[in-house]
Amino acid sequence: MNKVLGNKKAITLFVLPALILYAILVLVPVVWSLYYSLYSGSPGLQWEFTGFDNYVKLFSDKNFLNSLLVNVKYVLAVTVGQVGLGLLLALMFKFWLNRCKTIVRTLVFFPVVLPTVAVGQLFAKIYEIQPNYGLLNSLLSAVGLDNLVQAWIGQESTALWALCVMDVWVAMGFYSVIFYGALLDIPDDILEAARIDGAGSFSLFRHILLPLLRPMVITCLVFSFSGTVKMFESSLALTGGGPGSATKSLSMYMYDVSFTYNNVGYGSVIAIVIFLICIAGSMLINRFDVKEKY
Amino acid sequence: MKKRIIASMLCVMMTASLLAGCGSGSSSSGETTDENATAWQDADYSGEDPQLDTSIKILSIWAEDNDNGILINKICQDYKDNVNPNFEWEYEYVSADDLTQKIATLSSSNDLPDLFAYEAGAPLTTLIDADKVLNVSELLDATDTWDYLSESAVSIMKDLSGTEDLYDLPLGLNVEGFWYNKDLFEQAGVEVPTTWDEFDAVLEKLDAAGIQPMSTGGSDKWLATRLINAYAVRTMGNDVMTKAANGEIQYTDEGLVVAADKLASWAEKGYFGEGVTTVDASTAQSMLMNGQAAIFYTGSWFTQNLTDPTQNTAGEDGIGFFNIPVEDESISSSTSYSMNCGNILAMSKDKMNEGTAWFMKYFIQNMGNVAMEELGTVKGYTYTTSTEDMDPYTQLVLDEIAKSTEGFAWWEAKMNAEVSSIAQENVQPLLNGDMTGQEYMQSIQDAYDMSN
Amino acid sequence: MKKVKSGIKGLIIFLICVVEVYPLFWMLTASLKQQHEWSDNPAYALNEGFYFQNYVDAWTRGNMSTYFMNSLICTVVALLFIVIFATTVGFAVTKMQWKMRDTVAKIFSLGIMIPVATCLIPLFQMYNRGGLLNTRTSLIITYIAFGLSLSIYLVQGYLRSFPDDIMEAAVIDGCGIYKMMWHIVVPLMKNAIVTVLVLQFFFKWNDLLFSMTFISDSSLKTVQTGLLYFSDEFGNKNWGAIFASVSMSVFPMLLVYMGLNKKVMEGMTAGAVKG
Repeated sequence: MNKVLGNKKAITLFVLPALILYAILVLVPVVWSLYYSLYSGSPGLQWEFTGFDNYVKLFSDKNFLNSLLVNVKYVLAVTVGQVGLGLLLALMFKFWLNRCKTIVRTLVFFPVVLPTVAVGQLFAKIYEIQPNYGLLNSLLSAVGLDNLVQAWIGQESTALWALCVMDVWVAMGFYSVIFYGALLDIPDDILEAARIDGAGSFSLFRHILLPLLRPMVITCLVFSFSGTVKMFESSLALTGGGPGSATKSLSMYMYDVSFTYNNVGYGSVIAIVIFLICIAGSMLINRFDVKEKY
Repeated sequence: MKKRIIASMLCVMMTASLLAGCGSGSSSSGETTDENATAWQDADYSGEDPQLDTSIKILSIWAEDNDNGILINKICQDYKDNVNPNFEWEYEYVSADDLTQKIATLSSSNDLPDLFAYEAGAPLTTLIDADKVLNVSELLDATDTWDYLSESAVSIMKDLSGTEDLYDLPLGLNVEGFWYNKDLFEQAGVEVPTTWDEFDAVLEKLDAAGIQPMSTGGSDKWLATRLINAYAVRTMGNDVMTKAANGEIQYTDEGLVVAADKLASWAEKGYFGEGVTTVDASTAQSMLMNGQAAIFYTGSWFTQNLTDPTQNTAGEDGIGFFNIPVEDESISSSTSYSMNCGNILAMSKDKMNEGTAWFMKYFIQNMGNVAMEELGTVKGYTYTTSTEDMDPYTQLVLDEIAKSTEGFAWWEAKMNAEVSSIAQENVQPLLNGDMTGQEYMQSIQDAYDMSN
Repeated sequence: MKKVKSGIKGLIIFLICVVEVYPLFWMLTASLKQQHEWSDNPAYALNEGFYFQNYVDAWTRGNMSTYFMNSLICTVVALLFIVIFATTVGFAVTKMQWKMRDTVAKIFSLGIMIPVATCLIPLFQMYNRGGLLNTRTSLIITYIAFGLSLSIYLVQGYLRSFPDDIMEAAVIDGCGIYKMMWHIVVPLMKNAIVTVLVLQFFFKWNDLLFSMTFISDSSLKTVQTGLLYFSDEFGNKNWGAIFASVSMSVFPMLLVYMGLNKKVMEGMTAGAVKG
């Protein structure tokens, strides 16, 4: 067994081609941007060596701190929402659904398929207030809650949460499909045995399912986390970062700095921060995994 | 053992590509510049086209079958068919939102296209300062084509880049102002206002008649800042924003604060309807044409929507135009308009050569007439085609342009990219009442101080 | 009582499905609307008529036939490699025994965290020097490289719960590593592979950033760039045509997915029985 699995030639063949491609196209540009971060301006446009000035600038940059805050709120809300609701949906499919499993599973996956532009526009229309009430405001007004009718994505107090709802909606189906797959892999006799022992629904979930699903939950959390830290397209499509800078994420700020302000050097520093946040967060999440395993 | 092999391989790869990346980039392109730079200006462009082998790349923000895309491709085709069969061109279309990213990427590898669309004002100034774009004056001198450019376009463009020489070519000559729905004005019994007091009275009456007085594209931001500009210019003079950009006055000057507060007060009174920051340009202009709002501020490019019957349900005579109301003729006169050349065309300095110069001579000489024949619009070039049987909206714009004696630019024209994006972003909190005029102008001043 | 309860459960699930499927329905109605309907009527209103001109516009102006082909080629080739690499690397770093495996796994997982926009300028300069700009190759290799991390990560997740005894039995039966990979591991990982496939497919299919940056030749552009043809410099957008074009690119993919999905279900029930 060990001899087969320790086959050096096979390992080289399996890993090396991918590793080379990955190193050249992903790692090299990252190192390259580390080098960029020591310069100000853009290559070819007022490109000057400034050492660590860009890093110092970071701490006094109000716009950076604002987008960091926006990003943190978004990550917390969306990661928990996506994974939590995904799990909930999967549990419903497993225990409530007898027929049409395939169809339901297919249907909930649909939103992932749509290009972000389309989703953004759909939600912009759902939240719409002018010239016509969108779906949400119409419903509120129909049930007599006229005082709740508002410009959901047009005001600072609600725009970010409206965006979070959209992104949770987009991905929860995807996570539910993943969890559902994992749930199906849990043998029925384990559940039967627990039921016979008199476990209630909640304790069944807490003591039997959750430990078994843990690796999947961790995987999904990391996945969702690293996606949300890089939040960019959805916010661009729904609110364009507005109103003001209420939904402007780190990635959007980085893009602006690099390409609109023509300051690729400073943009690279922000990119590095995003990268570091991602690593730190993932390590934190993975901690739970390690503790359980050993 | 294996560990070391992999690790050292990674190291070698990274350093190798890193060195290759940094080393070759700057040096190679520097040399070619000088050779070309001397060659093309010395040629004589007065005689017959020598039919040089020429291939150029064009980067634009118009599809091949839309607006300037039609014109540019038509001129290229005509040039190839009638003048120089050895001419080839490659036309690339990117969306306006992606233009700056594309140009930044291209200029970082010294690979700007021969001809490319760009934003006039501060963005172009960056490229001029970096010595990336061609001094178009030299081209016009060499090919003797100054007469083919409209004088007002030339002065607008020089003014925008703040240079004595010309560094770009116009692709439009637009006036901006207020468009209004005639039916709604009649319903409310109001006349076209000529002063700001009258304008406010009109808004009030429209509102009282249950008509939404104005629409604006609050989610596209730039439409809203133009309203501040309109008021600021009329109360403080045509050059107010230039003064602010040069540091002669502060952005927090009382007059500018009043202008910002003006916009905020309209929004507060509900003149823009609910949730104005969620309305995009398309929606705002449809609202005017559908009779859901009475007034909408935008530029003369709006005629392309007005002349499309599937979009303009108000019909051929349903929408009117009036210039920005006046406060004091001596500060800013009623014949001075907000004018611009739209997105402009710049040229790569490095790529310029004799063949391209010959093509550009043809381009400049023919653009005016082609634009008039194909689209019935003025693009900032002189034309000889007659302008009869023009549709009423196009005619209206031509008449307004003819009336103009002076021009001024838009709100962010003189701001650099950072200041300009703050000015646009924060107009949304201003509209929402989350910021006062004072705070709004202060945020612009702060951004200005940071970046200068 | 029990009937009521299951009725409620059914209703909730039905509602969830409606919420998830509604956008597709909405997109269809949106793709058949005329421009003025967007502001005349609320967005959730049905289309007034069937304005098929949007589809004609999307097909001709958006250059769908060419762009569709290009997207298909780039995506399919990239996917093929992503799947091969993801399974082999994923297997090697989870199940095989070698010193560097955790380090290599970590290096790959770093890729999930990298903001794509950082790499744009360096990649552009590399391709520019390598003469790869304006080639499908540039897109394909970028897609592969940026798809690897996530795919490997997903495969690892599945493989961790992959029973060792099956492999052991195979080894006892005299299977070599390649034979085991092909005949035992791959069939059992069908589920993971299809997940990777489907997910990466939609990521690559919806890519705009890379294709816009590396490709300027209009005969090589991809589907998403076709959408650009319906908005202009002043913020005017022809939403009808945009949604027509999105619909045309999404619905064939949905059919493929639904076809595949049945396979996944079969594979999964088979796996479940064995477990």
